Amino acid sequence: MIGLLKSMATTMKHALDGSTFTVEYPETAPDVSPRFRGVHKFSQERCIWCRQCENVCPNDTIQIVMDDQRNGEQYNLHIGQCIYCRLCEEVCPVDAILLTQNFEFTADTKHDFVYNKEQLKAVPWYKDIDPLESREPDRSAWIGEGEGDVDYQ
Amino acid sequence: MVGAITRTPLQNDDTILLPERIGDLTGLDAYGTGGELLAIFLAAFLIGNLMLAMTGVAGPWAKRKITAAFTDRIAVNRLGPAGILIIVADSVRLLSKELIIPENADRPAYDLAPIVIASSALLGFAVIPMGSGIHLADPEVGLAYVFAVAGIASIGLVMAGYASSNKYSMLGGLRAVAQNVAYEIPLVVTGMSVVIFAGSLQMSTIVEAQAATFDLGIVSIPAWYALVNPFAFVLFLVANFAEVGRNPFDTPEAPTEIVAGYQTEYSSVYFVLIYLGEFLHIFLGGAIIATIFLGGPAGPGPAELGIVWFLIKIWAVFLLTQWLRSAVPRVRIDQLIEIGWKGLLVLSFANLVLTAVIVGLIA
Amino acid sequence: MSSGLERTRPVETTEDDLEALLGDRALARDDHLNAPGFVIRPDDVQDVLSDLRDEAGFDHLSCLTAQQYEDRYESIYHMKKYADPTQEVSIVVPTTTDDPVSESAAPVFRTADWHEREAFDLVGIDYEGHPDPRRILLPETWQGHPLSLDYDQEKPQLVTLSEHANPIQPDHHDAESDTMFLNIGPHHPATHGVLHVKTVLDGETVVDVDPDVGYLHRCEEQMCQQGTYRHQIMPYPDRWDYVSAGLLNEWAYARAAEDLADIEVPEYAQIIRTMGAELCRIASHMLALGTFCLDVYGDFTAVFQYAFRDREVVQDILEDLTGQRLMFNYFRLGGVAWDLPEPREEFIAKTRDFLDELPAKVDEYNDMVTSNEIFQVRCIDTGVLEPEVAKDYGCTGPVARGSGVDYDIRRDDPYGYYSELDWDVITDDGCDNYSRVLCRMREVEESAKIIEQCLDLLEDWPEDEREIQANVPRTLKPDADTEVYRAVEGAKGELGIYIRSDGTDKPGRFKIRSPCYHNLSALGEMTQGEYIPDLIASLGSLDIVLGEVDR
Repeated sequence: MIGLLKSMATTMKHALDGSTFTVEYPETAPDVSPRFRGVHKFSQERCIWCRQCENVCPNDTIQIVMDDQRNGEQYNLHIGQCIYCRLCEEVCPVDAILLTQNFEFTADTKHDFVYNKEQLKAVPWYKDIDPLESREPDRSAWIGEGEGDVDYQ
Repeated sequence: MVGAITRTPLQNDDTILLPERIGDLTGLDAYGTGGELLAIFLAAFLIGNLMLAMTGVAGPWAKRKITAAFTDRIAVNRLGPAGILIIVADSVRLLSKELIIPENADRPAYDLAPIVIASSALLGFAVIPMGSGIHLADPEVGLAYVFAVAGIASIGLVMAGYASSNKYSMLGGLRAVAQNVAYEIPLVVTGMSVVIFAGSLQMSTIVEAQAATFDLGIVSIPAWYALVNPFAFVLFLVANFAEVGRNPFDTPEAPTEIVAGYQTEYSSVYFVLIYLGEFLHIFLGGAIIATIFLGGPAGPGPAELGIVWFLIKIWAVFLLTQWLRSAVPRVRIDQLIEIGWKGLLVLSFANLVLTAVIVGLIA
Repeated sequence: MSSGLERTRPVETTEDDLEALLGDRALARDDHLNAPGFVIRPDDVQDVLSDLRDEAGFDHLSCLTAQQYEDRYESIYHMKKYADPTQEVSIVVPTTTDDPVSESAAPVFRTADWHEREAFDLVGIDYEGHPDPRRILLPETWQGHPLSLDYDQEKPQLVTLSEHANPIQPDHHDAESDTMFLNIGPHHPATHGVLHVKTVLDGETVVDVDPDVGYLHRCEEQMCQQGTYRHQIMPYPDRWDYVSAGLLNEWAYARAAEDLADIEVPEYAQIIRTMGAELCRIASHMLALGTFCLDVYGDFTAVFQYAFRDREVVQDILEDLTGQRLMFNYFRLGGVAWDLPEPREEFIAKTRDFLDELPAKVDEYNDMVTSNEIFQVRCIDTGVLEPEVAKDYGCTGPVARGSGVDYDIRRDDPYGYYSELDWDVITDDGCDNYSRVLCRMREVEESAKIIEQCLDLLEDWPEDEREIQANVPRTLKPDADTEVYRAVEGAKGELGIYIRSDGTDKPGRFKIRSPCYHNLSALGEMTQGEYIPDLIASLGSLDIVLGEVDR
C-alpha cells in the first residue's frame, strides 16, 4: 500500500509542478544540433562531377547523368529514399553536396521527393546554419593509404 | 472528543422535486396529468442534458488535460481558449466517421448494447438529489433503484461482447460479467451499511441524515458517512472503481491485452455512445459516492449553491479515477476476481455487521 | 581495475582436447579467425553437439550460419561457453548441392529450432529430424530460397495468404476441445511492432504460443552482402535494433570487420565508442522500461512518458555527438567519424548534467514502478524463465541475466575500453518479469558509471593525441575465404556478426546473430499455463525489437 501511495504521490507531484517537456511545434521550432543531418543541398558551381557520391551511396539514392563529353547533365537525389548516412558529404572533395539541418519536407507522392539539381540547390538552410562550419570534415582518413596498395578507385 | 450529535428533523415530505417546481413555474400544473407528465419530461430532459454536457466536457477535453498534466505534456490547446473548442471539433469528427459493422454481428443485440450502456447510467441520475432543488424523483427505495439501474450496464457490456463476433470482444464481455458479479455484491453490501446509519433507502433522507455536525471543541465537522465510517467509504470507492471498470480494474477493456475488450468492434456513433456511457457511469458512481458518503449537495454557503458543491464532488471522484490511471498498474483478471470474492466481499460483510452492532448499541 | 570484472573461468578446452573428443568424427579442420573449426559428417550433428555440450562444456549454441558455395551447402554451428565466451569452436557441416540434408540439432539445443528454420527458409538446407520444418521469416507460400545461388533475385513474387492463416475464416475451433485460437497481432497494441503470436487459450489461460515472425524481414543480411566493407555496410546496423541502440549495433559490425581486416582502433576512439554505446544502452533500457510499463499499466501513462522524457535527454546528447537521433552512422572501421563536438566543455558538461540527474530519476522510477505493490503482484513469479532453459534457448542480455545467468560479453570477451573501467555485471536470480525489469534499471546505473569514467578520460586526453580513426585503406579486400564470427553486448544481448570474405570488397556471406530472435523463441516456454495479461507482460519484458528479430 505504501508503494502504491508513493507512486500516486509521484505523479501528483508532476501534475502540480506544471512543467512540461513537450513543445508546441511548429510555433517553437526545435533546435537541432550543428551536426544534424537533414535534406541535401547541392551546388553545381562547386561540383566537379567525380561521381564519388553516387558510388559511395549505399542504396542508390543519388543518380548522376553525364553527356558523352563527361560533362554533368543531371544530378538527381531521392530524398525520400535517402537514409541520411552522410557518406556523400563525407566523400565529396569540394563540398558540393551538403546535408543541411532542414528536416521539414513534405510531398503529396513519393515521386515528388526525387529532387533534381535545381530543387536541391533551392533547399533552404535551417535557421541559417551552414553545417560545414561546425562539422569540420576530417578527410584525412579518406585519402589515407593504409598499409596495402594505393587504391585510386 | 466527539460531542453530541445534533440531528435536524427529517423534512422529506416538504422536499419539492424538480418536476413540481417546473410545473409551478411554467404553469403546466394547470393542465392536469398531461401537464404534469410534460413537466416531468422537461425536468428529465434538463438533468439528462446536464449530465451529457458534463461527459462532453470530460471526454474530449478534461480527460486529456488531466492526463497531460500527469505526464508533463501540453495537451489540447489549439482551438478556442485552453482548447475548449476541441469538444465541438471532436463531436463532428466522431459523428462523421464511418460506422463499420462486422459481417457476423448479431444485429439487434449489437445495436442495442451501446444504448443500454449509455441509458442505464442516465436512468440512475433520476433519484440523485443534486441540490438547488434539482432532484427528479425521490422514491422510498432510491438507493436500491440506483444500484439496480446501474447494474443494467453489465447486460449492455455482455451484449456488446457477445454480439460483436470478435474473440477479443468476447473475452472482454466475459471479463466484464465476471467483474461486475464479483464487485456488485460488495458494493451493495457496503451501501447497506449506510442505509443502517440513515435508516432509510430514500436518497433525500440519506442526505438529510448527513446534515448533522460533530462538535470537536473548536471546529465542527459535518457528519458525512465518509468521516463517520471511512472504512466503508474506502471499500465503496474500490468496489465502485471495479464496477465502472476504471484503473486499476479496467480489465474488461484492457487495451494492451485484449485490444479494447467489448468495444473493439464499435466505431463512429456507437463508439461515442459507449464512450458516453462509460463517462456517465463514472459520474453516476461519483454521484452515488457524493450522495451517500459526502453529504450530497452539502457545503458552505447558501443552500442555492448545492448543485455547485455536488458537481465539485462528482468531478473530484472523476479526478481520482484519472489520478489512479496515471499511477496504478492494472491488476490481472484472476487477481481482480480474487480481490473481489476473497477480500472485498468479506470486508464489506464485516463492515455491515460492525455497523449494525454499533448503530444498535448507540440506539 | 574493477573487482566486478574478474570472473572465474572454466578450464580452457584446448584444440587437442577437442580433437580427442571428436576423434574420427572430425573429417577435417576449417579454422575461423575466432575459433578452431571442425568439419563433420551431416549425420553426426546431434552426436557431436551433445558431446561438446556435455563433456567439454560448450553450452551456448551462439549462432548457426548457413550458406551455399558453388559445390556444397554448409551449416556452421558457432559454439561457446556461457562461463567463458572466449572459448569457441565452430562445427562445420557440409552437404551436397543435389541433396542438402543435414541432421537437425534441435533435439540437443532448442535454439537450433528457429535457426534451422531460418537456414531452411533463406538458404534451403533440409534438417532431418527437425520438429517443425516450416519457413520462419518468409511467407509459407514463398517459392525458392533467396540466399541460394540459383535464386532469381529479380523475379517478383505475389504472396497470398495461405488458407489456414486466413484470420477471417472461422475454422480454428476444434469441436472436440474447449480451447480457443486467438491471433495476437500482427496488429495489436502490445506486440511491440508487427509480431503475430498464434495463441491457443483455455479460458484466459495460455495453452500454446507460437510466435510468427518475419513481417518486418527486410533482407538486411543481403543488403550488407551487397555493400562495401569500408563504407556501405555501416549505416545498416542502425536499422536492426532501430529503437536507439544504433551504436551498439554498429559496434557489432565494426568489431567483426576490424578483426577480419586486422585493423587496430586508436585508444581515444575506443573511449568515445564506449561512451556512445553506453548512452545508447541507457536510451534503449529506458524505452524497454517505458514500454514494459505500458504493457502492465495498460495506457500511455505517466511512467511511459517519464521514461521517454529521460530518453529524450540521451537522444539529444547522441544527436550532438553523432548528428542523428536514431540512425547514427557514427562508427567507421578503425574509429569513429567525429571527435566530440566543439565546444568540448559544453558537451561534457551537458552529459555530466544528465548523469547527475539520473540517480534522482532512477529513484523516481523505483518509487513509481518497482515499489508499487500492484506492479509487484503483476510481475513477480510471472513469465518464469529458468536459467537452464534460458541457456537452452540461447538467451542473452538482460533476459539471461534476469534469470541468474552471469554472462556479459563486455566483461567476458572484452572489447572497446570496458576492461579498463570500473563497473559491475548485474544479475538477478528472480527469473521472472520483475527481475528482468530490475536488471535493466540497475544496468542503467552501471552504464552511467561507465560514461562518467569515459568523460573523465576524454576530458583529460592530451589535445595532440586525439586520434579518432586508424589509417584504413579506402578499399578493403580481406583475403578470400577468411571467416570470422564476433559478438558484442548489444542492448538486448549478444549481437553477433559472421562474415566470410570472398576476396572482393563486399562480404561473401554476412550473417547477423540477433539477440531478440533467441529471446523471443523462449516466449512459449515462459508463458505456458499463464494468463493473457502475463503473456503480454512477458513479451514486454523480453524487450524485443521486431526489426532485429526479422532483420
